[in-house]
Amino acid sequence: MIVCVYLPRFELVAAAGGPEALTGWALAIAPSGSGPARVGEVSGTAQAQGVQQGMMLGEALARCPALELVPGDPVQVAQSWEQIARALEGIGAQLELARPGLAYFDGAGLVGLHNGEDGLLLATRKALARPARIGVAPSRFCSLAAALETRTRRVRRVSERDVRRYLAVQPVGILSYRSQTATIVASLQQLGLGKLGGLVKLTAAEIADRFGEPGTLARGLALGHDTPLRVRRVEDRLTESMQLGEANSGLLLERTLEVLVDRLLARPQRRGRTLRAITLSARLAERGTWREEVVFRQALSDPRRIRLALSQRLQLLPAPATALQLAVDEFGPAGGDQGGLLDGERTARLARLQDAVGQVRTLAGPHAALRVLVVDPRSRVPERKVLYAPWQQ
Amino acid sequence: MRSRTIAKPAAPKAPKPVRVQAEHGRPIAVAGVRVEEVREDWIVQDKWWTEQPIRRHYWELITVEGRNVVVFHDKLVDRWFSQTA
Repeated sequence: MIVCVYLPRFELVAAAGGPEALTGWALAIAPSGSGPARVGEVSGTAQAQGVQQGMMLGEALARCPALELVPGDPVQVAQSWEQIARALEGIGAQLELARPGLAYFDGAGLVGLHNGEDGLLLATRKALARPARIGVAPSRFCSLAAALETRTRRVRRVSERDVRRYLAVQPVGILSYRSQTATIVASLQQLGLGKLGGLVKLTAAEIADRFGEPGTLARGLALGHDTPLRVRRVEDRLTESMQLGEANSGLLLERTLEVLVDRLLARPQRRGRTLRAITLSARLAERGTWREEVVFRQALSDPRRIRLALSQRLQLLPAPATALQLAVDEFGPAGGDQGGLLDGERTARLARLQDAVGQVRTLAGPHAALRVLVVDPRSRVPERKVLYAPWQQ
Repeated sequence: MRSRTIAKPAAPKAPKPVRVQAEHGRPIAVAGVRVEEVREDWIVQDKWWTEQPIRRHYWELITVEGRNVVVFHDKLVDRWFSQTA
Protein backbone atom coordinates (compact mmCIF):
# COMPACT_ATOMS: atom_id res chain seq x y z
CA MET A 1 0.00 0.00 0.00
CA ILE A 2 1.83 3.05 -1.30
CA VAL A 3 0.66 6.49 -0.21
CA CYS A 4 1.44 9.40 -2.52
CA VAL A 5 1.36 12.91 -1.08
CA TYR A 6 1.16 15.64 -3.69
CA LEU A 7 1.26 19.37 -2.92
CA PRO A 8 0.56 21.18 -6.20
CA ARG A 9 2.63 24.26 -7.10
CA PHE A 10 4.80 23.80 -4.04
CA GLU A 11 7.72 25.86 -5.35
CA LEU A 12 5.51 28.71 -6.51
CA VAL A 13 3.65 28.84 -3.19
CA ALA A 14 6.98 29.02 -1.31
CA ALA A 15 8.38 31.69 -3.64
CA ALA A 16 5.21 33.81 -3.61
CA GLY A 17 4.96 33.72 0.18
CA GLY A 18 1.89 31.54 0.68
CA PRO A 19 -1.09 30.02 -1.14
CA GLU A 20 -3.15 33.22 -0.74
CA ALA A 21 -0.70 35.09 -2.99
CA LEU A 22 -1.67 32.88 -5.92
CA THR A 23 -5.40 33.55 -5.81
CA GLY A 24 -6.53 35.54 -8.81
CA TRP A 25 -3.01 36.41 -9.96
CA ALA A 26 -1.23 35.23 -13.06
CA LEU A 27 2.12 34.26 -11.55
CA ALA A 28 5.06 32.21 -12.73
CA ILE A 29 8.50 31.49 -11.35
CA ALA A 30 11.02 33.60 -13.25
CA PRO A 31 13.64 31.79 -15.35
CA SER A 32 16.81 30.98 -13.46
CA GLY A 33 20.09 32.67 -14.40
CA SER A 34 21.54 29.80 -16.40
CA GLY A 35 20.12 27.99 -19.42
CA PRO A 36 17.27 29.00 -21.72
CA ALA A 37 14.71 31.48 -20.35
CA ARG A 38 11.83 29.17 -19.44
CA VAL A 39 9.24 29.90 -16.77
CA GLY A 40 8.92 27.60 -13.75
CA GLU A 41 5.69 26.61 -11.99
CA VAL A 42 2.66 28.73 -12.93
CA SER A 43 -0.47 29.72 -10.99
CA GLY A 44 -3.95 28.52 -11.93
CA THR A 45 -4.86 31.93 -13.40
CA ALA A 46 -1.79 31.88 -15.63
CA GLN A 47 -2.50 28.31 -16.63
CA ALA A 48 -6.05 29.28 -17.61
CA GLN A 49 -4.53 31.78 -20.04
CA GLY A 50 -2.40 29.15 -21.72
CA VAL A 51 0.87 29.48 -19.82
CA GLN A 52 2.54 26.16 -19.03
CA GLN A 53 5.50 25.25 -16.87
CA GLY A 54 8.67 25.06 -18.97
CA MET A 55 7.33 27.44 -21.64
CA MET A 56 9.74 29.97 -23.16
CA LEU A 57 9.43 33.33 -21.38
CA GLY A 58 8.59 35.23 -24.60
CA GLU A 59 5.75 32.89 -25.46
CA ALA A 60 4.43 32.96 -21.90
CA LEU A 61 4.32 36.78 -21.91
CA ALA A 62 2.71 36.82 -25.35
CA ARG A 63 -0.06 34.52 -24.16
CA CYS A 64 -0.53 36.33 -20.86
CA PRO A 65 0.70 39.97 -20.89
CA ALA A 66 -0.36 40.38 -17.24
CA LEU A 67 1.92 37.52 -16.20
CA GLU A 68 3.91 38.46 -13.10
CA LEU A 69 7.28 36.79 -12.61
CA VAL A 70 8.28 35.72 -9.11
CA PRO A 71 12.00 35.11 -8.39
CA GLY A 72 12.59 31.49 -7.39
CA ASP A 73 13.38 30.81 -3.75
CA PRO A 74 15.06 27.37 -3.74
CA VAL A 75 16.28 27.76 -0.15
CA GLN A 76 12.80 28.46 1.19
CA VAL A 77 11.46 25.57 -0.91
CA ALA A 78 14.07 23.19 0.51
CA GLN A 79 13.42 24.36 4.09
CA SER A 80 9.64 24.06 3.81
CA TRP A 81 9.93 20.67 2.15
CA GLU A 82 12.34 19.41 4.79
CA GLN A 83 9.90 20.58 7.48
CA ILE A 84 7.09 18.60 5.84
CA ALA A 85 9.32 15.55 5.39
CA ARG A 86 10.28 15.65 9.08
CA ALA A 87 6.61 15.94 10.07
CA LEU A 88 5.70 12.91 7.94
CA GLU A 89 8.63 10.97 9.35
CA GLY A 90 7.23 11.90 12.74
CA ILE A 91 4.20 9.64 12.10
CA GLY A 92 6.56 6.78 11.23
CA ALA A 93 6.63 7.15 7.45
CA GLN A 94 9.78 6.14 5.58
CA LEU A 95 9.78 8.59 2.72
CA GLU A 96 10.88 8.63 -0.85
CA LEU A 97 11.13 12.30 -1.78
CA ALA A 98 10.61 12.49 -5.53
CA ARG A 99 10.81 16.29 -5.71
CA PRO A 100 9.56 19.23 -3.63
CA GLY A 101 5.83 18.73 -3.26
CA LEU A 102 5.79 15.01 -4.15
CA ALA A 103 6.56 12.19 -1.70
CA TYR A 104 5.73 8.51 -1.29
CA PHE A 105 5.73 6.12 1.62
CA ASP A 106 4.64 2.57 2.27
CA GLY A 107 1.65 2.69 4.58
CA ALA A 108 1.32 -1.08 5.11
CA GLY A 109 3.40 -1.12 8.29
CA LEU A 110 1.73 1.99 9.71
CA VAL A 111 -1.90 0.94 9.46
CA GLY A 112 -1.77 -0.90 12.80
CA LEU A 113 0.00 2.01 14.45
CA HIS A 114 -2.71 4.50 13.47
CA ASN A 115 -5.80 2.31 13.90
CA GLY A 116 -6.45 1.49 10.29
CA GLU A 117 -6.07 3.15 6.91
CA ASP A 118 -8.36 6.06 7.74
CA GLY A 119 -6.40 6.76 10.91
CA LEU A 120 -3.15 6.75 8.92
CA LEU A 121 -4.53 9.19 6.35
CA LEU A 122 -5.83 11.43 9.12
CA ALA A 123 -2.40 11.41 10.77
CA THR A 124 -0.83 12.20 7.38
CA ARG A 125 -3.12 15.20 6.91
CA LYS A 126 -2.39 16.44 10.42
CA ALA A 127 1.35 16.14 9.81
CA LEU A 128 1.09 18.02 6.55
CA ALA A 129 -1.00 20.80 8.15
CA ARG A 130 -1.94 22.09 4.70
CA PRO A 131 -4.25 21.01 1.89
CA ALA A 132 -2.79 18.14 -0.11
CA ARG A 133 -3.84 15.55 -2.64
CA ILE A 134 -3.37 12.00 -1.46
CA GLY A 135 -3.45 8.84 -3.56
CA VAL A 136 -3.36 5.30 -2.19
CA ALA A 137 -2.59 2.37 -4.46
CA PRO A 138 -0.51 -0.83 -4.59
CA SER A 139 2.29 0.79 -6.63
CA ARG A 140 4.11 4.12 -6.59
CA PHE A 141 3.08 5.06 -10.12
CA CYS A 142 -0.55 4.17 -9.58
CA SER A 143 -0.67 6.14 -6.32
CA LEU A 144 0.75 9.15 -8.19
CA ALA A 145 -1.97 8.84 -10.83
CA ALA A 146 -4.57 8.68 -8.06
CA ALA A 147 -3.14 11.73 -6.28
CA LEU A 148 -3.05 13.73 -9.50
CA GLU A 149 -6.62 12.82 -10.32
CA THR A 150 -8.15 13.58 -6.95
CA ARG A 151 -9.04 17.03 -5.68
CA THR A 152 -7.30 18.87 -2.86
CA ARG A 153 -8.31 17.59 0.61
CA ARG A 154 -9.54 14.35 -0.95
CA VAL A 155 -8.10 10.85 -1.02
CA ARG A 156 -8.32 8.53 -4.02
CA ARG A 157 -7.87 4.83 -3.33
CA VAL A 158 -7.17 2.23 -6.00
CA SER A 159 -7.39 -1.43 -5.04
CA GLU A 160 -5.07 -4.20 -6.26
CA ARG A 161 -7.56 -5.67 -8.72
CA ASP A 162 -8.49 -2.28 -10.23
CA VAL A 163 -4.93 -1.11 -10.92
CA ARG A 164 -4.72 -2.06 -14.62
CA ARG A 165 -8.23 -0.87 -15.43
CA TYR A 166 -7.60 2.39 -13.57
CA LEU A 167 -4.25 3.10 -15.20
CA ALA A 168 -5.56 2.27 -18.68
CA VAL A 169 -7.70 5.42 -18.74
CA GLN A 170 -5.02 7.72 -17.34
CA PRO A 171 -3.22 10.16 -19.68
CA VAL A 172 0.34 9.34 -20.76
CA GLY A 173 1.35 12.78 -19.42
CA ILE A 174 1.73 11.15 -15.98
CA LEU A 175 4.89 9.53 -17.28
CA SER A 176 6.52 12.98 -17.29
CA TYR A 177 6.62 12.85 -13.47
CA ARG A 178 9.24 10.09 -13.74
CA SER A 179 12.61 11.27 -15.06
CA GLN A 180 13.34 7.97 -16.87
CA THR A 181 10.09 8.07 -18.87
CA ALA A 182 9.62 11.84 -19.27
CA THR A 183 11.55 11.88 -22.55
CA ILE A 184 9.07 9.70 -24.46
CA VAL A 185 5.84 11.48 -23.47
CA ALA A 186 5.87 13.91 -26.41
CA SER A 187 6.59 11.07 -28.88
CA LEU A 188 3.75 8.97 -27.48
CA GLN A 189 1.32 11.88 -27.81
CA GLN A 190 2.47 12.56 -31.38
CA LEU A 191 1.79 8.92 -32.22
CA GLY A 192 -1.76 9.32 -30.93
CA LEU A 193 -1.23 7.37 -27.72
CA GLY A 194 -3.11 9.64 -25.35
CA LYS A 195 -3.92 7.05 -22.66
CA LEU A 196 -1.79 4.48 -20.92
CA GLY A 197 -4.19 1.79 -22.12
CA GLY A 198 -2.95 2.35 -25.68
CA LEU A 199 0.59 1.73 -24.55
CA VAL A 200 -0.34 -1.58 -22.94
CA LYS A 201 -2.00 -2.81 -26.10
CA LEU A 202 1.36 -2.76 -27.87
CA THR A 203 3.63 -5.74 -27.28
CA ALA A 204 6.76 -5.44 -25.17
CA ALA A 205 8.90 -6.09 -28.26
CA GLU A 206 7.22 -3.30 -30.25
CA ILE A 207 7.67 -0.84 -27.40
CA ALA A 208 11.29 -1.82 -26.85
CA ASP A 209 11.99 -1.51 -30.57
CA ARG A 210 10.59 2.01 -30.81
CA PHE A 211 11.33 3.55 -27.40
CA GLY A 212 14.04 1.39 -25.87
CA GLU A 213 14.49 1.20 -22.10
CA PRO A 214 12.21 4.15 -21.20
CA GLY A 215 9.42 2.58 -23.26
CA THR A 216 9.78 -0.79 -21.56
CA LEU A 217 9.71 0.91 -18.17
CA ALA A 218 6.65 2.97 -19.16
CA ARG A 219 4.78 -0.14 -20.28
CA GLY A 220 5.64 -1.88 -17.02
CA LEU A 221 4.34 1.11 -15.06
CA ALA A 222 1.12 1.13 -17.08
CA LEU A 223 0.67 -2.56 -16.22
CA GLY A 224 0.98 -1.75 -12.52
CA HIS A 225 4.57 -2.93 -12.06
CA ASP A 226 6.94 -0.62 -10.25
CA THR A 227 10.31 -0.62 -8.52
CA PRO A 228 10.50 -0.56 -4.70
CA LEU A 229 10.58 2.79 -2.95
CA ARG A 230 13.99 4.37 -2.39
CA VAL A 231 13.47 5.69 1.11
CA ARG A 232 15.77 8.30 2.54
CA ARG A 233 17.71 7.72 5.70
CA VAL A 234 16.76 9.85 8.66
CA GLU A 235 19.95 11.65 9.67
CA ASP A 236 21.10 14.68 11.60
CA ARG A 237 21.03 17.74 9.43
CA LEU A 238 24.10 19.87 10.01
CA THR A 239 24.05 23.43 8.76
CA GLU A 240 26.37 26.38 9.12
CA SER A 241 25.59 29.86 7.85
CA MET A 242 27.16 33.29 7.93
CA GLN A 243 26.12 36.82 7.04
CA LEU A 244 28.33 38.54 4.49
CA GLY A 245 29.74 42.03 4.79
CA GLU A 246 29.60 44.81 2.26
CA ALA A 247 32.17 43.49 -0.24
CA ASN A 248 30.47 40.17 -0.83
CA SER A 249 32.53 38.77 -3.65
CA GLY A 250 35.95 37.36 -4.44
CA LEU A 251 38.19 36.95 -1.41
CA LEU A 252 35.43 37.44 1.16
CA LEU A 253 33.30 34.70 -0.38
CA GLU A 254 36.26 32.33 -0.48
CA ARG A 255 37.15 33.09 3.13
CA THR A 256 33.59 32.75 4.31
CA LEU A 257 33.38 29.40 2.58
CA GLU A 258 36.59 28.37 4.32
CA VAL A 259 35.16 29.27 7.73
CA LEU A 260 31.89 27.45 7.02
CA VAL A 261 33.66 24.28 5.90
CA ASP A 262 35.89 24.34 8.99
CA ARG A 263 32.91 24.92 11.29
CA LEU A 264 30.96 22.10 9.66
CA LEU A 265 33.85 19.67 10.03
CA ALA A 266 34.40 20.71 13.65
CA ARG A 267 30.79 19.99 14.68
CA PRO A 268 30.76 17.15 17.24
CA GLN A 269 27.52 15.81 15.69
CA ARG A 270 29.57 14.79 12.64
CA ARG A 271 31.12 12.05 14.80
CA GLY A 272 34.10 11.65 12.49
CA ARG A 273 31.96 10.81 9.47
CA THR A 274 32.97 11.91 6.01
CA LEU A 275 30.73 14.08 3.85
CA ARG A 276 29.21 12.70 0.68
CA ALA A 277 26.87 15.49 -0.43
CA ILE A 278 26.55 19.15 0.56
CA THR A 279 24.10 21.90 -0.35
CA LEU A 280 25.60 25.33 -0.85
CA SER A 281 23.01 28.10 -0.70
CA ALA A 282 22.95 31.88 -0.60
CA ARG A 283 20.46 34.63 0.10
CA LEU A 284 20.77 37.14 -2.73
CA ALA A 285 21.09 40.88 -2.17
CA GLU A 286 18.26 41.75 -4.57
CA ARG A 287 15.57 39.17 -3.83
CA GLY A 288 15.34 35.42 -3.79
CA THR A 289 17.88 32.75 -3.06
CA TRP A 290 20.32 30.47 -4.85
CA ARG A 291 20.98 26.80 -4.15
CA GLU A 292 23.43 24.29 -5.53
CA GLU A 293 23.75 20.64 -4.55
CA VAL A 294 27.28 19.28 -4.64
CA VAL A 295 27.86 15.52 -4.59
CA PHE A 296 31.51 14.60 -4.10
CA ARG A 297 33.06 11.87 -6.20
CA GLN A 298 34.05 10.15 -2.99
CA ALA A 299 33.20 10.78 0.66
CA LEU A 300 35.52 13.47 2.02
CA SER A 301 36.61 15.03 5.26
CA ASP A 302 39.62 16.93 3.92
CA PRO A 303 38.72 20.64 4.18
CA ARG A 304 40.97 21.62 1.26
CA ARG A 305 39.33 19.20 -1.14
CA ILE A 306 35.86 20.15 0.05
CA ARG A 307 36.68 23.85 -0.41
CA LEU A 308 38.08 23.18 -3.86
CA ALA A 309 34.88 21.42 -4.94
CA LEU A 310 32.62 24.08 -3.43
CA SER A 311 34.53 27.14 -4.61
CA GLN A 312 33.95 26.12 -8.23
CA ARG A 313 30.20 26.13 -7.61
CA LEU A 314 30.45 29.44 -5.81
CA GLN A 315 31.41 31.05 -9.09
CA LEU A 316 27.92 30.23 -10.39
CA LEU A 317 26.33 32.71 -7.96
CA PRO A 318 23.98 34.76 -10.16
CA ALA A 319 24.05 37.96 -8.03
CA PRO A 320 25.73 39.43 -4.93
CA ALA A 321 24.81 37.52 -1.79
CA THR A 322 24.03 38.68 1.74
CA ALA A 323 24.40 35.30 3.46
CA LEU A 324 26.01 31.96 2.69
CA GLN A 325 24.98 28.56 4.08
CA LEU A 326 26.34 25.03 3.95
CA ALA A 327 24.21 22.01 4.81
CA VAL A 328 25.24 18.36 4.86
CA ASP A 329 22.82 16.29 2.80
CA GLU A 330 24.48 12.93 3.20
CA PHE A 331 27.26 11.54 5.31
CA GLY A 332 29.77 8.91 4.24
CA PRO A 333 31.48 6.33 6.43
CA ALA A 334 33.55 7.45 9.39
CA GLY A 335 37.24 8.14 8.82
CA GLY A 336 38.14 7.62 5.20
CA ASP A 337 40.79 10.34 5.08
CA GLN A 338 43.17 9.66 2.27
CA GLY A 339 46.68 9.18 3.59
CA GLY A 340 49.73 10.37 1.68
CA LEU A 341 51.87 7.92 -0.27
CA LEU A 342 54.97 8.85 1.69
CA ASP A 343 54.27 9.24 5.38
CA GLY A 344 57.12 11.46 6.46
CA GLU A 345 57.98 12.90 9.82
CA ARG A 346 55.92 16.01 9.16
CA THR A 347 52.80 13.97 8.45
CA ALA A 348 53.28 11.99 11.65
CA ARG A 349 53.75 15.20 13.64
CA LEU A 350 50.60 16.71 12.14
CA ALA A 351 48.67 13.54 12.91
CA ARG A 352 49.78 13.76 16.55
CA LEU A 353 48.85 17.43 16.64
CA GLN A 354 45.43 16.65 15.15
CA ASP A 355 44.94 13.97 17.76
CA ALA A 356 45.92 16.39 20.52
CA VAL A 357 43.49 19.01 19.23
CA GLY A 358 40.78 16.36 19.12
CA GLN A 359 41.43 15.48 22.76
CA VAL A 360 41.43 19.13 23.82
CA ARG A 361 38.12 19.64 22.04
CA THR A 362 36.65 16.60 23.72
CA LEU A 363 37.63 17.96 27.13
CA ALA A 364 37.09 21.69 26.69
CA GLY A 365 34.51 21.95 23.91
CA PRO A 366 34.60 22.94 20.26
CA HIS A 367 35.96 26.44 20.96
CA ALA A 368 39.14 25.17 22.60
CA ALA A 369 41.21 25.22 19.41
CA LEU A 370 40.59 28.13 17.07
CA ARG A 371 42.59 30.03 14.49
CA VAL A 372 42.27 33.61 13.33
CA LEU A 373 41.26 33.87 9.71
CA VAL A 374 41.54 37.08 7.70
CA VAL A 375 38.21 37.36 5.92
CA ASP A 376 37.94 40.87 4.55
CA PRO A 377 41.12 42.87 5.24
CA ARG A 378 39.87 45.98 3.45
CA SER A 379 36.62 46.29 5.39
CA ARG A 380 36.00 49.68 7.00
CA VAL A 381 34.33 47.92 9.92
CA PRO A 382 37.15 46.31 11.95
CA GLU A 383 35.13 43.37 13.34
CA ARG A 384 34.56 42.16 9.79
CA LYS A 385 38.25 41.94 8.96
CA VAL A 386 39.04 38.75 10.89
CA LEU A 387 37.11 35.85 12.34
CA TYR A 388 37.76 32.85 14.55
CA ALA A 389 37.50 29.57 12.67
CA PRO A 390 37.86 26.04 14.06
CA TRP A 391 41.43 24.82 13.87
CA GLN A 392 41.90 22.30 11.10
CA GLN A 393 45.04 20.58 9.97
CA MET B 1 39.95 14.64 35.89
CA ARG B 2 37.72 17.69 35.92
CA SER B 3 37.11 19.35 32.59
CA ARG B 4 35.94 22.87 31.92
CA THR B 5 34.22 23.78 28.68
CA ILE B 6 35.55 26.93 27.08
CA ALA B 7 32.82 29.35 26.07
CA LYS B 8 32.63 30.69 22.56
CA PRO B 9 34.96 33.71 22.42
CA ALA B 10 33.84 37.07 21.09
CA ALA B 11 34.97 38.03 17.58
CA PRO B 12 38.68 39.06 17.47
CA LYS B 13 37.97 42.73 16.85
CA ALA B 14 34.58 42.98 18.52
CA PRO B 15 33.83 46.43 20.01
CA LYS B 16 34.01 46.68 23.80
CA PRO B 17 31.98 49.22 25.77
CA VAL B 18 34.16 51.93 27.29
CA ARG B 19 33.60 55.00 29.47
CA VAL B 20 34.44 58.15 27.51
CA GLN B 21 34.09 61.79 28.57
CA ALA B 22 33.45 64.07 25.65
CA GLU B 23 33.05 67.79 25.00
CA HIS B 24 31.00 68.76 21.99
CA GLY B 25 31.35 65.18 20.73
CA ARG B 26 35.15 65.23 21.02
CA PRO B 27 36.63 62.72 23.54
CA ILE B 28 38.67 64.26 26.36
CA ALA B 29 39.12 61.20 28.58
CA VAL B 30 38.94 57.43 28.00
CA ALA B 31 38.31 55.15 31.01
CA GLY B 32 39.29 58.00 33.29
CA VAL B 33 42.58 58.72 31.50
CA ARG B 34 42.91 62.14 29.92
CA VAL B 35 43.39 62.40 26.16
CA GLU B 36 46.62 64.11 25.13
CA GLU B 37 46.06 64.30 21.41
CA VAL B 38 43.55 63.38 18.71
CA ARG B 39 45.46 61.82 15.85
CA GLU B 40 42.60 61.23 13.48
CA ASP B 41 38.85 60.93 13.30
CA TRP B 42 36.63 59.41 10.62
CA ILE B 43 33.03 58.44 10.07
CA VAL B 44 31.77 55.00 9.00
CA GLN B 45 28.24 54.74 7.64
CA ASP B 46 27.37 51.37 6.22
CA LYS B 47 24.57 48.89 5.68
CA TRP B 48 22.09 51.76 5.69
CA TRP B 49 19.97 49.78 3.26
CA THR B 50 19.52 46.92 5.78
CA GLU B 51 17.77 46.57 9.12
CA GLN B 52 21.15 46.68 10.90
CA PRO B 53 22.74 49.92 9.74
CA ILE B 54 26.09 51.17 11.06
CA ARG B 55 26.72 54.82 11.97
CA ARG B 56 29.97 55.35 13.86
CA HIS B 57 32.33 58.23 14.51
CA TYR B 58 35.83 56.82 15.08
CA TRP B 59 38.57 58.61 17.03
CA GLU B 60 42.22 57.59 17.18
CA LEU B 61 43.67 59.06 20.36
CA ILE B 62 46.89 59.31 22.36
CA THR B 63 46.33 59.31 26.11
CA VAL B 64 48.52 61.11 28.66
CA GLU B 65 49.97 57.67 29.47
CA GLY B 66 51.19 57.45 25.89
CA ARG B 67 48.78 54.73 24.83
CA ASN B 68 47.28 54.75 21.37
CA VAL B 69 43.56 53.91 21.55
CA VAL B 70 40.75 53.79 19.03
CA VAL B 71 37.24 54.52 20.23
CA PHE B 72 34.03 55.19 18.39
CA HIS B 73 30.72 56.75 19.19
CA ASP B 74 27.82 54.61 17.97
CA LYS B 75 25.31 57.23 16.87
CA LEU B 76 22.42 54.77 16.73
CA VAL B 77 22.61 53.72 20.39
CA ASP B 78 24.52 56.80 21.65
CA ARG B 79 27.25 54.78 23.34
CA TRP B 80 31.06 54.67 23.21
CA PHE B 81 33.13 51.60 22.37
CA SER B 82 36.84 50.86 22.10
CA GLN B 83 38.09 48.74 19.25
CA THR B 84 41.29 47.39 17.75
CA ALA B 85 41.30 48.89 14.28
